[in-house]
Amino acid sequence: MTAVLEVNNLSKRFGGIVAVDNVSFTVNDGDILGIIGPNGSGKSTLFNCVLGQLLPSEGSVRIDGQESTGMRPCDLNRLGVSRTFQLLQVFPQLSVRDNLILAGQEHQGSMASRLFGRPDAGLGDAADQMIEFFRLTHLSDEQAGMLSYGQQKLLDAAMAFMAGPRLVLLDEPAGGVNLTMLGLLRERLQAYHAERKATFVVIEDQMEFVMALCTRVLVLAEGKIIAEGAPEEVRRNPAVIEAYLGH
Amino acid sequence: MKRFGPLSVAVAAAAAIGLPFLLKPFGVYLISMWAVLTIAAIGLNLTLGYAGQVSMAQGAFVGIGAYTVALLTAAGWPFFPAFILGGALCFVIGWLLGYPALRVQHHYLAFVTLAFNTLVFLVLRNEEWLTRGSYGIAGTDRPSLFGLSTDNARVFYFLCLAILILLSAATWWMLRSPWGRAFVALRENPIRALSLGLDTRRYTLMAFALGSTLGGLAGGLYAPLVQFIEPGSFSLNLSFNLLLMVIVGGSGRFFGPFVGALIAVLLPEWMRVAEGYYLIIYAMLVMVLMVFCPSGVIGLFEKAMKPKKPPAAPAAAAIKAEATPQ
Amino acid sequence: MASFIQLMVSGLATGAIYALIAIGFTLLWQTSQTINFAQGEFVMLPAFFVLAAMNMGAPYWLAALIGIALSVVILGVLFKAVIVDPMIRHGVLPLVITTIALSLFLKESVKDFYSSQAQPFPALVAPRDLHFLGAVVSLQSIVVLAVAVATVIGLHLLLNKTRLGRCMQATAQNPTVARILGIPVGRMVLYTFLINGALVAIASLLISPIYLAKFTNGEALGMAAFIAAIIGGFNQVRGAILGGIILGVLDNLSAAYLSSSYRGAFPLVILIAVILFRPQGLLGRVEERAV
Repeated sequence: MTAVLEVNNLSKRFGGIVAVDNVSFTVNDGDILGIIGPNGSGKSTLFNCVLGQLLPSEGSVRIDGQESTGMRPCDLNRLGVSRTFQLLQVFPQLSVRDNLILAGQEHQGSMASRLFGRPDAGLGDAADQMIEFFRLTHLSDEQAGMLSYGQQKLLDAAMAFMAGPRLVLLDEPAGGVNLTMLGLLRERLQAYHAERKATFVVIEDQMEFVMALCTRVLVLAEGKIIAEGAPEEVRRNPAVIEAYLGH
Repeated sequence: MKRFGPLSVAVAAAAAIGLPFLLKPFGVYLISMWAVLTIAAIGLNLTLGYAGQVSMAQGAFVGIGAYTVALLTAAGWPFFPAFILGGALCFVIGWLLGYPALRVQHHYLAFVTLAFNTLVFLVLRNEEWLTRGSYGIAGTDRPSLFGLSTDNARVFYFLCLAILILLSAATWWMLRSPWGRAFVALRENPIRALSLGLDTRRYTLMAFALGSTLGGLAGGLYAPLVQFIEPGSFSLNLSFNLLLMVIVGGSGRFFGPFVGALIAVLLPEWMRVAEGYYLIIYAMLVMVLMVFCPSGVIGLFEKAMKPKKPPAAPAAAAIKAEATPQ
Repeated sequence: MASFIQLMVSGLATGAIYALIAIGFTLLWQTSQTINFAQGEFVMLPAFFVLAAMNMGAPYWLAALIGIALSVVILGVLFKAVIVDPMIRHGVLPLVITTIALSLFLKESVKDFYSSQAQPFPALVAPRDLHFLGAVVSLQSIVVLAVAVATVIGLHLLLNKTRLGRCMQATAQNPTVARILGIPVGRMVLYTFLINGALVAIASLLISPIYLAKFTNGEALGMAAFIAAIIGGFNQVRGAILGGIILGVLDNLSAAYLSSSYRGAFPLVILIAVILFRPQGLLGRVEERAV
């Protein structure tokens, strides 16, 4: 069986600065891989290279064995790769339901059928189910911009799942979310994972969240992988402690 | 839109149908002009208000449509094929004008489209073999429909109104289809839209092309309405005026262009007393409106209609459900 | 050759005036994200302040000073306080609309309250031709060039050699950091509006003797300022200077050597080409965009 995501010898340089330095890893079906590391360790750059927002300087990315380096984000998304962003990225003037339909509609039919077909692109029920799954039912018709920060984070995650993706990359899903909401978010992500056997990659600074959610953790420092393994192993790894506390 | 309810739409529809029977010929001409400009403004509202792509070239598309119809009907074509061809031509040119939007945004895009508008004006003025230059083209025939001539101002008004209704219904349909959602996504957050699989490139070009098509169709009615076109009618001033209509009415709101065009057409007439000063007053009104309510007249209405203190939650939900036509 | 020199000198003179207008335009953009669509009308208007002052009996030099002062107050302070400040929080587009409306307002006001006819405007020097390498060059062009260059040098010294100027530049480049550094950002923004008021007034004094003072002058001048600013680089004062001069020279050369009916198209084509292939402008730097 091929890996869902395969990153080979990926490097990204900005001028003289090496942000990501020869990184390789694979993510298998059903994994929840956490990527942690101190600020400036290259996590976000790595993410953006995998997702086609940035073109890697060297190396390759494969999705399900298919070469995807340099693909446009929208084409990658239609291959089944979906993501959330570090900063809030919902569409504030659309309703919660419309945000979700939007997140799935480009996977349905063609340009023409989207114009002449049903206004909800046949996704109304799926959207309602997703709204219910993320406990947003009472907010279904609210404008997304009116939601609280934590609710928008939930919506953001729900949007990433809307098209039934093969692989979801979550960029700091817990950032700035209060504890109650954080518990709900983690619990919902786990439930989704259990139900649909989805594969996640999570970038996160909040250790507790990563340790509780992820099945495997990868530690980046200065653009390189310095440790990899089960959460508990990584937590005890002296190199990791050094990277976080050193300097 | 939603808060207006069917009542105001019904009143407006009654006025649109009843007015021509009460007005003098010049009044009928004015409301025909309103219908024509509304079509162009709906197009710009699509490109700018919904999809967020700044265009200062809508006037040029009105010009392209008007010249297409004027020249082809003069060459013996019947009206409707010329009208459709004018729209199609604008679709293609609008699509091409969208390409710069893929590279640059905001003020740069404003300037590219502004430059395009002036270039179109220069071509219209200088290529006399085709356009008769600054002499203009007079006497574009009004079409006849199923053997019924529209030479009568009132009949021609109803033709304009019918086309306006048809085109706004088509726009309404499109805006509530997934395309409408995609256009708003393009305006609000193109990067996120791209990550959700939206081919933002294609939607951007489409927004330009469709908006321009509506401009061209408006032009196709403008030529037989005014019966005299010259390059100066389609200079930057017209683009600025259409822009003002969209913004004053309420950009990104379905009925914004209707209201904006109404104000732009009627204000000069109401301010006949002010004679030459009406443009000064208009400019001041626009500035005041922008300072106090940048979401335009429709935005002003929405603000006014919004209850200051929301009633108890279930009641509010019930009222909302009632007031929301789906 | 002789006529070429003539064209170059008059081209440089017009270009220098364009540069003044474009510098003001970019300064406003840099410090306050204001795209001033009324910039052309801002240049048209001060000439009428001067004419009005002269009608009341003021000698030219006094009228010129009054014109500059009024311009600084009305087109600088009032413009910022009444229009830009309340609008800026609504974003760029409503402000653009407002400045379009303002340009209409200024144009129509001059037409209705002063005159719709072109008004003769006194030149800085008596008309005289100089003979130079066999070419005839008008003294006026030389004086225009000299005044414009002096203004640009003065502005350059102010911006780069004084503490105040460096604070203004810091504000233009990154208001947040400037604020952290303790620079009074609000006041710096106000100063750029004052400078713009003075620049447009000087440009008005220089250009009105050539084109006569007319309410429609702003249309072409505003367009020239946008084009110059974009060709040079929207975020660079140096770029605006270069853009203005390129445009002025091209304007004069193309009028002489190309079909005059498409004279106006030439700068537009350059504009579109620059925007498409080098959107940061000839001297501009790329504006970073956050993902």
